Amino acid sequence: MWYLAFFVVPLIVIVVYSFGYKPPATAASSIGLDRLSFDNYTNTFSDTFNRTFIATIRIAVTGTLLCLLVGFPLAYFLATRTSARWRGVLLGLVIVPFWTSFLLRTFAWRILLAANGPASEALQSIGLLDAPLRVLDTRGAVQLGVLYNYLPLMIFPLFVALDRMDPSLREASKDLGANRIATFIQVTLPLVMPGVVAGLLLVFIPLAGEYVTPAVLGGAKGLMAGGLVASQFLAALNWALGSAMAVVLILLILAVIAVFGAAGLIVRTMVRRNRRVEVATR
Amino acid sequence: MTTAAPLRRRWDWFNGLLRTYAVLLYIFLFTPILVVVIYSFNKGRFLVIWDGFGTNWYGVALENEGIQNALATSLRVAAANAVVAVVLGTMAGIALARRSGKWSRPFLVLVFLILVAPEIVDAISYLIFFVRINLGWSFARLVIGHSIFNSAVVTLIVLARLQGLDESLEEAAADLGASPWRAFRQITLPLMLPAVLAGALLAFTFSLDDVIISSFVSTSGGTTLPVYVFSALRTGMRGDLAAISTVTLAATLVALGVMVFALRRSGESVEGVVGTITGAG
Repeated sequence: MWYLAFFVVPLIVIVVYSFGYKPPATAASSIGLDRLSFDNYTNTFSDTFNRTFIATIRIAVTGTLLCLLVGFPLAYFLATRTSARWRGVLLGLVIVPFWTSFLLRTFAWRILLAANGPASEALQSIGLLDAPLRVLDTRGAVQLGVLYNYLPLMIFPLFVALDRMDPSLREASKDLGANRIATFIQVTLPLVMPGVVAGLLLVFIPLAGEYVTPAVLGGAKGLMAGGLVASQFLAALNWALGSAMAVVLILLILAVIAVFGAAGLIVRTMVRRNRRVEVATR
Repeated sequence: MTTAAPLRRRWDWFNGLLRTYAVLLYIFLFTPILVVVIYSFNKGRFLVIWDGFGTNWYGVALENEGIQNALATSLRVAAANAVVAVVLGTMAGIALARRSGKWSRPFLVLVFLILVAPEIVDAISYLIFFVRINLGWSFARLVIGHSIFNSAVVTLIVLARLQGLDESLEEAAADLGASPWRAFRQITLPLMLPAVLAGALLAFTFSLDDVIISSFVSTSGGTTLPVYVFSALRTGMRGDLAAISTVTLAATLVALGVMVFALRRSGESVEGVVGTITGAG
């Protein structure tokens, strides 16, 4: 009941609000509902907002895949190449950044990447750069920021999946004459797929709704959809438009997950069919 | 000599490469955090330009009334939210693990929905809700907002722990003549205590760290520290922000250390500790 009252009802209210309109500033209420329309959705898909939504999805998809690419080798290393004792310590070292304040981790990059900050100075002094670094307040900075912020969230599920895998399976594959790459593709990867999917979802969903990182690192150029929603609610006080944006954001997130899920299923069935052909022609 | 061969193989180029990569990644993970800690001791007037060692920003931070108030609000909200979240989450977890009925599944789906929905969606739904019921008290808004999210986390942790426990222990207690309450107090509670403690700390630190929900539901004057820092960051980088962030970082690390220690003492495996801490069950 508690959750019902505090979560489901408000969620429905958001959907209803998204069809409302912004009342005149003199009104006491912050939403007008006596005249429902799709106006807010038309506005949401206007040029300026559209660009932000597309950018959001691009940053979120790129960020999630980067997390996977960067995180996988470390998870693999932790699960297969460390002794039990070191594993605890090294895992702890991944947990510490995860538990460090999100805000601290994000604004650290503002110091690090500042035009007159340490990275810029160092790169200039060794001659790699001939002008101060200009990364802050761009989409590039946001991309780097989200990669950094969400990396631990990707490493944990990957590690758990890799750790559960029986090492003798890999050895068996090796004994049967498979080389490293074949073992990885045909044995390891299918077995840890649930972990990969969990990691992708765990990172993608919050990343797509991200609001803090772009606000701190992105400036005006690095705006993401979460920031749009927030500004409608907290600054422009247009709750109706903000609600419509939130609904679009949720639908976009679900759509991306559906597309990737479908693509994954197609790839899987194709791989299986190929294998069957291989066996049949032999 | 035959035993040396497999040992040598473990040190081949691939392992070396993995090892180097791991080291580089750890550097990547820790450099930003260390940078904030180091620069919080920057003596200079501008945060990003290093000007020598000094603790003056700590003085500034601790004397700033806005920071003091925000920190006090943060701690009060975090504590109240942890209590509410633990009570609700533990009850829900026990109910799900021991008395499952036809409502269990929809309820569990709901719990997952809360955790999976982007936080910003949670945040605006709370805001709309509070405005609807005319609740203007910032403290109550923050506590309710945080504890909804956190009680979902606690529910899952307690549920996972209870599912891992043998129910026959409770039955044995009942057979030996213990009342249900006594069996709960003397058998179930001590066994699930690590999970409850972990949940409490998790809820506490989430609340201390949260920006999104807090900035939506709090009203001016009653904000938490992260909201204060967040809005101050948008106007400029200040040394006192780095200083106060370092202080909270130190506090969080101590809490984390205590929790890992408690979990290890209760016989949890490394993987179990990781699962509990990250809320992954």
